[in-house]
Amino acid sequence: MAVKVLILEDNPAAREFLGRVVRESFSDTITIVEAGDLESARRAIRIAGGAQGYHGVDPFKLVLVDLELPDGSGLELLEELRQYPATKIVTTLYSDDEHLFPALQCGADGYLLKEDRFELLVEELQKIVRGEPPLSPAIARRLLGHFRTNTRTGMNRRITDEGNGAALRAPAASSTFTAVAFAAPSPVEIEPPLDLPALTPREVEVLTFLSKGFTIKEIAALMSIKWFTVNDHIKSIYRKLNVSSRAEAAVLASKQGLV
Amino acid sequence: MGWRRLLLLPIALLASLAVVVLARTLAQAPDLDARWRLDANGHLQLIATDLPWMRPALGHSLEVIVAPGTAPLFVDGRRVVNSSRWVASDEEREAGARQQRQMARMLQPGAPVLLGFTDRMNARVTPHARGYATLGITFWLLCGLGLALELVGAVVILVRQDIRNFLYAVMAQCQAAQLLLAAVDAVPGMGNMSLLGGHEAALRMALDVVTCAALLNATLLYPTPLPPRRALASLSWLAALVFSGAALAFDLPQAWWWCQALQLSTGLLVIGLLGWSYRITPHPYATVMRRLSIVTVGSLALVTIVVALSDRMPGEVQSLVSAVPVIWTVFFASLLLMSPFLARSQHMMREFAMLAGVSTLATSVDLLFVAVFSFNQFASITTSLFVALGVYAASRQWLLDQMIGARAVTTERLFEHLLRIARKVEEQPERAADWQLELFHAVFQPLVARHEPGFTQTTRWYEGGAGLLVPLAVEPPSNAGSPSQFDDGDQPEPRLIVLRFAERGKRLFTAEDARLADRIVEQLRRAVAHDRAIEQGRSEERGRIAQDLHDDIGARLLTLMYKAPNPEMEDYVRHTLQDLKTLTRGLAATTHFLSHAAAEWKADIAQRLSPTGCTLEWSFTQDVDIQLNVVQWSGLTRILRELVSNIIAHAKATHATIHADLANGVLKLTVTDNGVGGTPKDWSTGLGLGGIRKRVRMLGGTIAWQQNTPEGVRCDVSVPLAVPATPPSQTSPGASVG
Repeated sequence: MAVKVLILEDNPAAREFLGRVVRESFSDTITIVEAGDLESARRAIRIAGGAQGYHGVDPFKLVLVDLELPDGSGLELLEELRQYPATKIVTTLYSDDEHLFPALQCGADGYLLKEDRFELLVEELQKIVRGEPPLSPAIARRLLGHFRTNTRTGMNRRITDEGNGAALRAPAASSTFTAVAFAAPSPVEIEPPLDLPALTPREVEVLTFLSKGFTIKEIAALMSIKWFTVNDHIKSIYRKLNVSSRAEAAVLASKQGLV
Repeated sequence: MGWRRLLLLPIALLASLAVVVLARTLAQAPDLDARWRLDANGHLQLIATDLPWMRPALGHSLEVIVAPGTAPLFVDGRRVVNSSRWVASDEEREAGARQQRQMARMLQPGAPVLLGFTDRMNARVTPHARGYATLGITFWLLCGLGLALELVGAVVILVRQDIRNFLYAVMAQCQAAQLLLAAVDAVPGMGNMSLLGGHEAALRMALDVVTCAALLNATLLYPTPLPPRRALASLSWLAALVFSGAALAFDLPQAWWWCQALQLSTGLLVIGLLGWSYRITPHPYATVMRRLSIVTVGSLALVTIVVALSDRMPGEVQSLVSAVPVIWTVFFASLLLMSPFLARSQHMMREFAMLAGVSTLATSVDLLFVAVFSFNQFASITTSLFVALGVYAASRQWLLDQMIGARAVTTERLFEHLLRIARKVEEQPERAADWQLELFHAVFQPLVARHEPGFTQTTRWYEGGAGLLVPLAVEPPSNAGSPSQFDDGDQPEPRLIVLRFAERGKRLFTAEDARLADRIVEQLRRAVAHDRAIEQGRSEERGRIAQDLHDDIGARLLTLMYKAPNPEMEDYVRHTLQDLKTLTRGLAATTHFLSHAAAEWKADIAQRLSPTGCTLEWSFTQDVDIQLNVVQWSGLTRILRELVSNIIAHAKATHATIHADLANGVLKLTVTDNGVGGTPKDWSTGLGLGGIRKRVRMLGGTIAWQQNTPEGVRCDVSVPLAVPATPPSQTSPGASVG
């Protein structure tokens, strides 16, 4: 059976180019559905069984989403496809964390930069599908800040408990996080803390190395672990970000009386 | 508070009642329907009358008054009209009082008297009640001032009952009484002063001496309690009591001289004590009061000399001589009236007090001239007027500055300070409180300036102008991001600026200062808000430009790249696109940390090199993390990108080494490869080397290529990024010796 791929991209040249990248990346038979705007993408997804991706229908296995579209932002579609069982990848020209971080929060499994060389894109795409998503230093830094803020709002205990067991080898990671966990006076809790997932010390360590520009291989060497273990950490971080942002969204919605 | 107001009402009513009774008594007192003037020989000259049969006597001097049943009274003009408080010799004073009493006995309502004038002219006149209309404007003015002083004294003691306010109330009451007596003195007519029997002079001296004792006692207590206060205060009160008793009960010989001596010595003592007090605690009140005391004592000394020399002065200026002490009394009373409100800058009162003071001085000096050079009356009065006005006009500002103290900062300087601080607050918002403290320090130059927690909406002053509380115009951002080493959770945020002792303790804060401080706060707020709005507008503008560039040009370049006919063209467009992205990112964000930038460079270069099979060895060190501005960030990003592009495109290297090191504000980049570099001199110029050179030059740095051994090329870039915060401590030995 052919693997169904949705490419949402308003630039025809880019659409065609990304199609070539997808075909080059996988040996399976590929069926590519192209969409130029959000509306046609939604239609394509409805035909394929709806945004929830129910079992028994024929869903897309891979979705490439551009952020800037004529009738809105690709983030909207990503938000709708949170539960969709496909690998969702953001293809964009914006490589900065300002644009990419919200996309990752919306459940994207990775991102591709459209101006990269063909060969590089093929490699990156294969990696994402294999479960080796990219994480730029800027986004790693952003993630550290994100989870540290979460930690401040009520997850001192969990970090502390896990932190006692694990020996933290990365000096930067240990200093920032133990400082938060042990030394900082706990802030006055105005509202009950969100039950958000916290990062393990290892994940924090990986993120810290990533934020300093180290590659996966270098980090594996520095931490004396296998490179795919590093990848597992990164995948876990992706997942936790998704979960935490979903929990935040739920709390926000309940606060506004939407739920 | 309520009972105080209730109490003030009867006090005010009583005081008013006293004035009304006094006016009524004077209005019902018998008087002759005639106006008199002292002539050059000390005689009373008739200058106006409504009685037709007295008209012929106009211009003639009164010599004698005859009434039935009493001995004829030979009139000595000088003694008839004036209070005998300001008469130096005992005999003269006694004679004056006697004549006043005698005259009052002669003038009975309905009993006609015979007035004998020079040139054998006579007139028969029946005295009758004077009526309110003829009391004269001076009477009412002096009564008003006395009433005001009396009420201020009452208010002060009602507001707070302590020894200091009590002493002030005593002074105020004494001088209010003094003013009422002066008001009686100012009523035209004969025999007014007989109201108090023969004790008028003694009573007025006693009032002055008691005032002096209270003043000395107050000085010993405030602003700084001085060590010998018990002894000195007791001594002064004892002296005042002994003098008053002696003057009132027995006729103390040389009473006037004693009185003046007591007053002047108290004044000098007060000046000395205030100087001492200022050395112990530099409270500006001491300085201001000292200045006022010097003026007061100086003028009193002049008045004393003038009165003592009045015998030598010609008759026509005698009325002026008698006016000088009255002016001085008014001056002193107005100072007393002003002193509780020194900081509230009562313009009217201040001007009035100054006018009175300057008039006292000018008239006294003028009369001394008259005594020495024997001017005639017209000349002396004119000169007196001109001198008084001249001195007033010339010295007004100077005197004001001396009395209240001048502001040290000109408007221009103030404006500069304001602008400078507004900019600093904008640059370093976390130190906003310090900058504002600096601003107010520069404006008021207080001895003490510090932050305190608390809140005030507008500027307030306290301790009668010793201190000023100013609200912070711009509060530092709470929790400024950098947690301090020690736990400062207990310390509340500073919200107030406390200033004490303006002008290094030489000046009191006035209500004007408070208003100025409020204006400064308001302007500072406005300036900072303005700057922020501008900065926000700028960054929005930059953001929009970046967005447009990125969306329009970026999308087109992307299409162009996908449709490129050959890989070279594709690469070229890709580079252009990347440059565009760097440019737009630089526009969107204003600053980048060097450490963050280095991490991104590293990740980017590693990613670009990995498909080419070239390994990367990267190291980055920095002595301190700095912020790169847009130019530096985009410049360095593009320099590195070009250098790496060259390695990929031309060198065919298998290994690249990049060392970046920031030390003392200089970033040194070393990029080495093991490719087929050859001699750098032989390179063609089309390799983007020109662009790299240009960028390095733009950043003020240097770049050099050299052939590496055994193979490849080494490139050294050195770019100054920041001025080192502290100059390097190790200088060359020669420099330190020489």
